[in-house]
Amino acid sequence: MWLLRFSTSSIGKKILMASSGLLLILFLVAHAAGNAAIFFGSNAFQTYADTLHSLPVVVFVFGVGLFAVLIVHIFIGIQLFLQNRKETASRYAVSTKVCENTLASSTMPYTGLLLLLFLLVHVFGFGVNPTDTKVSVLVVNLLGNFFYGLFYLFSFCVLAVHLSHGFWSMLQTFGFNHPRYNDGIMKITYIVPGFFLVFFGAITLYFMTGLGANY
Amino acid sequence: MSNIDLTLQIWRQKNSDALGKLETYTLDKISTDMSFLEMLDVLNEKLTMEGIEPVAFDHDCREGICGMCGAVINGVAHGPEKETTLCQLHMRHFKTGDVLVIEPFRSRAFPIKKDLVVDRSAFDKIIQAGGYVSVNTGGTPDGNAIPISSHIAELAMDAAACIGCGACVASCPNGAAMLFTSAKISQLCLLPQGHAERKKRALSMVETMDKEGFGNCTNLRECEAVCPKSISIRNIARLNREFVRAAFSEG
Repeated sequence: MWLLRFSTSSIGKKILMASSGLLLILFLVAHAAGNAAIFFGSNAFQTYADTLHSLPVVVFVFGVGLFAVLIVHIFIGIQLFLQNRKETASRYAVSTKVCENTLASSTMPYTGLLLLLFLLVHVFGFGVNPTDTKVSVLVVNLLGNFFYGLFYLFSFCVLAVHLSHGFWSMLQTFGFNHPRYNDGIMKITYIVPGFFLVFFGAITLYFMTGLGANY
Repeated sequence: MSNIDLTLQIWRQKNSDALGKLETYTLDKISTDMSFLEMLDVLNEKLTMEGIEPVAFDHDCREGICGMCGAVINGVAHGPEKETTLCQLHMRHFKTGDVLVIEPFRSRAFPIKKDLVVDRSAFDKIIQAGGYVSVNTGGTPDGNAIPISSHIAELAMDAAACIGCGACVASCPNGAAMLFTSAKISQLCLLPQGHAERKKRALSMVETMDKEGFGNCTNLRECEAVCPKSISIRNIARLNREFVRAAFSEG
């Protein structure tokens, strides 16, 4: 079947990796837009959360969709990592990297794994909520904890590193590479992760420093 | 003209099945006007005099256009000079006392035949999978009968500059052959003559590339940085587009 042949070919896997990555970035944008309610006070944030949860069908459909996208991104990522590792396993006595800026690109599987760890902590912290604490209170409690907040800040840095290769790499995989636009693409590649780092980092610092204790 | 003294560590391997290892040789009074391969010729003469098996290495034109030569010098395919094949690398770029580690182009798809000689026939298989380009038979066609803008002709020419040496595969941490395949596909898909088989070509060349055991591209750009013909990864972007278009519409 053509679709199976496509998704098992090396380029097909790249395309799936890039498409799922794009959807995950779009999810982050939506997530950031929702979280912006925090800066309008705890009532605004609680109203946002309640409104969202009053639409269980929407939450369910997006939840399942997001989970599927995540599984694709992780599964193919691991598959690529394992396939490529066969080649990498120290084949040269001396190995020199000619190309600069490879910190992000060569650590993609590892930053990805750290992000998965963060995701689990985040989902178990905020999603699974046995005590029925309001989310607007929960966020103060959790992020008010210094080490919890520090872990969040660290994870956002990891996210920024991951995206600083991922975003450009995604566009290259989709076939966007033209001398006229390449400079702009390189700038966006730093702006997008920078935005997420500053925005999510600001929320974390807001509560970590106690500024948002009575927001 | 000056002379330099070098220490060479060269990968010696009897055949594909034998275990290889790095052997150290010293070479004195090498003229800086020599090319890298001429330096290896001098070494081989010396080794022959001493009754040691000379180092096997691939070479042909020694003008940087055939794609036969190539080795990894201190971790860099074709050595430290940019956009230069090994045969066009000159000893003036080295100095007395340098230790040069010379290894073959390594990849799962390029088995070592002997010493620095590797079997790159996997590239031939990719080319064969590309098939043919349809042309009209009959009388000699008029010049410029098919209009091609100079911009497109230049892009196709840039892609056609690929000499198929394998440095991209050798330098890619994943051993991917994307730069090579993309250059070959770009060259043909850009020109109107190659359009008839465009989709079939993209599908079968990529399929062969995967089957031959090359790795997956993760956009690390190492290939572009070592390519002696400075083939751009813009060709890889074009290959991705070609492949997706073909996969979703062909057959």
